[in-house]
Amino acid sequence: MDMLHTLKPAAFHILLALAEHDSHGYAVMQTVRQQSGGRIPLQTGSFYRHLSKLIDDGLVVEAPGPKGDDDPRRGTYYRLTAKGRQALLAERSRLTDLVEHMSRIKLTGKKSDA
Amino acid sequence: MRFYEWLLRAYPAWFRDRYADAMRGTFAHEYAEYSATSAARRANFWFFTTLHALCFGTLERFPKGPVMRSFFAFDLRDAVRSLKATPVITSVALLSLALGIGANTALFSILNGLVLKPLPVKAPDELVLINDGSWTNPIWEALRARVPGRFAGAFAWSTSSWDLATAGKSDPVEGIMASAGVFDTLGVAPALGRGFVPDDDKRGMGPDGPVAVISHRLWESRYASDPLVLGRSISLNRKLFTIIGVMPAGFTGPDVGRVADVIVPIAAAETFDGKEAGLDERSRWWLEIMLRRAPGQSAEQATAILNDLRPVIRAETTPRDWKADDQASYLKDPFTVIDGATGQSSLRDRFAQPITIILVVVGAVLLIACANIANLLLARATARRHEMSVRLALGASRLVLARQLIAESAIIAIAGAALGLVLAQFGSALLIQQLASSAGRVTLDTAIDWRVLGFTSGVAFLTTMLFGLAPAFGVAGVQPQDALKEQSRSVTGDRRMGIRNVLVVAQVALSLTLVVAAGLFVRSFATLATTPLGFDPKSMLIVDVNTGQTQTPIEQRAQLYERVREAVASVPGVRSASASFMTPLSGSGWNGKAEVVGGPKLTMPQAMIWLNAVTPGCFETYGLQLRAGRDLSSSDLAGREQVVVVNETFVKRFVGNQNPIGAQLITDGPGGPTPFTIVGVVSDAVYRNARSGVYASAFVPVPQAERLLARFPVTASLTTSRGAVERGIGDALMAIDPMISFNFRDLSDQVRASLAQERLVALLSGFFGVLALLLAALGLYGVTSYSVSRRRNEIAVRMALGANAGRVVAMVIRGVTLLVASGVVVGLGITLWASKFAGKLLFGLTPTDPMTFVAAALVLLVAGILAGWLPARRAARLDPTTTLRD
Repeated sequence: MDMLHTLKPAAFHILLALAEHDSHGYAVMQTVRQQSGGRIPLQTGSFYRHLSKLIDDGLVVEAPGPKGDDDPRRGTYYRLTAKGRQALLAERSRLTDLVEHMSRIKLTGKKSDA
Repeated sequence: MRFYEWLLRAYPAWFRDRYADAMRGTFAHEYAEYSATSAARRANFWFFTTLHALCFGTLERFPKGPVMRSFFAFDLRDAVRSLKATPVITSVALLSLALGIGANTALFSILNGLVLKPLPVKAPDELVLINDGSWTNPIWEALRARVPGRFAGAFAWSTSSWDLATAGKSDPVEGIMASAGVFDTLGVAPALGRGFVPDDDKRGMGPDGPVAVISHRLWESRYASDPLVLGRSISLNRKLFTIIGVMPAGFTGPDVGRVADVIVPIAAAETFDGKEAGLDERSRWWLEIMLRRAPGQSAEQATAILNDLRPVIRAETTPRDWKADDQASYLKDPFTVIDGATGQSSLRDRFAQPITIILVVVGAVLLIACANIANLLLARATARRHEMSVRLALGASRLVLARQLIAESAIIAIAGAALGLVLAQFGSALLIQQLASSAGRVTLDTAIDWRVLGFTSGVAFLTTMLFGLAPAFGVAGVQPQDALKEQSRSVTGDRRMGIRNVLVVAQVALSLTLVVAAGLFVRSFATLATTPLGFDPKSMLIVDVNTGQTQTPIEQRAQLYERVREAVASVPGVRSASASFMTPLSGSGWNGKAEVVGGPKLTMPQAMIWLNAVTPGCFETYGLQLRAGRDLSSSDLAGREQVVVVNETFVKRFVGNQNPIGAQLITDGPGGPTPFTIVGVVSDAVYRNARSGVYASAFVPVPQAERLLARFPVTASLTTSRGAVERGIGDALMAIDPMISFNFRDLSDQVRASLAQERLVALLSGFFGVLALLLAALGLYGVTSYSVSRRRNEIAVRMALGANAGRVVAMVIRGVTLLVASGVVVGLGITLWASKFAGKLLFGLTPTDPMTFVAAALVLLVAGILAGWLPARRAARLDPTTTLRD
């Protein structure tokens, strides 16, 4: 559980991108860029650094690509593991807690302003 | 993509095994995405791609233990933060380093591709060339018979170019004619089909007829990598050859800088030129010979074996028509072998020296950049003394502080190297373009290989150490109790100022050398470029005509020359046209020993004249003035009196003050020394290039010249643009004979190309001279503003005591001038010593040209004073009261 709290933004976005379906490297990078509105500027080098760490930690595994896909540029497909899904869920509950907490603070902040 | 392949090597093997394929894939996508965007975004993309690969690749190599993690997590993070806190210093340092490393890598890549890199063949170390240029085919055939048992292999070759088009305008392709052993000797297996077998290289061709092997590149571009290309035919100069093989990718032939897209056997020379191919001529020197040494055989042993063979080979091949003493020296002439591992290259002969000189120049630029960075970081370290002493006082160990400083330097070095690699990629492409303008198409393999990698990372490492240690030494001088003292109250001198002054003096000295070099090279080039040629190359078009495939017999070639000339001249937009053996400044020449009956007795080099055969009207086309006598005329035919027109330089040297018209000039004509009657004198013109200047020249009429070649240039002086006449000229030539092939060139391009070497040196030395000046000025500015800020209190006290702004400025400027002056003095010494290496590349001035030296010294002084004046003015505007109150 320790590790889950230290999920880096880039790693989090990669997990998120893989949550719905398996995907290949370039598609994941594109999704992360869109999800984050360009705030996570992933390039090949940085992307594979994060990915290799996620694989080492057992959150992501390599997966067979869908049949009939013969574009060699796509390369390997990646899949979220059960542990990876858990990590995402934990991250979600952590963020929800955080947002809830923050909205309470925000309200009090407004009151004192008024 | 090749560059990315190389970058991937930064990663450890296990990482590559797992991810390299996938990374290539995403990179290809990204590359496609970015190649459509602006140059700035592309540069940014390349920078980060390089940086990521280098940094992350290196990081993956370290074990992921806690110690390493703390180093990378904390030291590097802190270092990045503190570098971001001083953006100006960081970016100036980065840029200096990037320019230094980039320029060095770009030039080294080219030098590497041109000079150092071995041919991509099996065991290139075993290859040797028989020295001293070219050999005749009879010598080659005599040697070929004796290769088995003595050497592991041998082949001869000659460069050539052909026309792929089957009609009309040429579609030129470069290639070589090589003997059957070329692929076996080099150890190159064809990617497809087969190489040559001895039968292919038989006179009159083997069972397969004329055959050709094409390059991988041609196979891709012209045949779309079609595996069924074997057995198809390729038209070379309108002759059909059967394609029997495709060379492997990356193999471009034995010549460096030139791609052989087509290889045909030597015997095919007769397919092209029939009897004129001269395969049996004993004084036609056109082949290069490469040998592969037998296992264990040394170069000396190879030379010894060749010289054992010499008497037989020489005796079998002695040119019978030579004079007795020439034959004797032919028999005695020894063979020697030289290293052939890096192939053969005319480009190398021309550019290796200039590129080496420029490499020294950029090396100096890198030194200056390093001095600059050391200076900037020293200033930074000094400015952070307070921070350092606070941290020491709070218990940080010196090791921790030093580690952070080294981490900072390492980041600058790595990022600088990454940026430099990107610059180098663009830079070397640009440089090759420059080379290409002179030598037609140039293809050099300048992909970064381990030599360049070693060189750049060595430079980066050295730089890191140089300035990584400088601030670390600075740390050692900091005492914890300094933290307690008020900072910047000291008026006394600073030991570090001493180091910084030395650095600045060194920078100025090196810059002076580079500015002088730039001055010398640029002035040489300017002199050469403005040397009057004797004619105006503007709106002159050269039509290269090849009549080799027409059925015209050799005896009627003179008429063919005239018909072609007339056809070109009759096209609207052509003022006049003339055919000749060669055009000026083309690199070709025809020379011989001459003497004028009754003239002064001259010995060789003086007695050498340079000839050309031209049609009547050539002087008018080129705008040469007839000074005396008459032009060549259409009645100067073969069998009539042999006539010649000479130039003024010829008259001055060979005739003197008498009337040259009617004098007898004796030089080698058809069948031995022949008398020619001088019938005219024309104004001087440059023959080979501006550097060699005007030669004593003679022009003989085409019909009276020996051996008219099937290929010849027609020069047309145009009244309109080139585009408007090309079509008309093409139609006119096709009307004569559809087998004539032709191509167009601008004479002014040829003139430009003749100065390519000088232009390149002037361009680069000029650029780096300015860069060095800029870096030195930056360094001076940095040092001065730093010392001024250190002396704020002192200056404020002086002003409070009555010194006015002028005196303050004068005081600061005095200090700067002293620094620059000492730099200039040291620099003059270095430059005087270094200048002797530039001698051969200069023109019209000596390496110690006083004007250039004085001008360079003045430029540096002015730049230095300007760089000092800005901080001086700032100092003069100090408000003593506020300063002293702070």
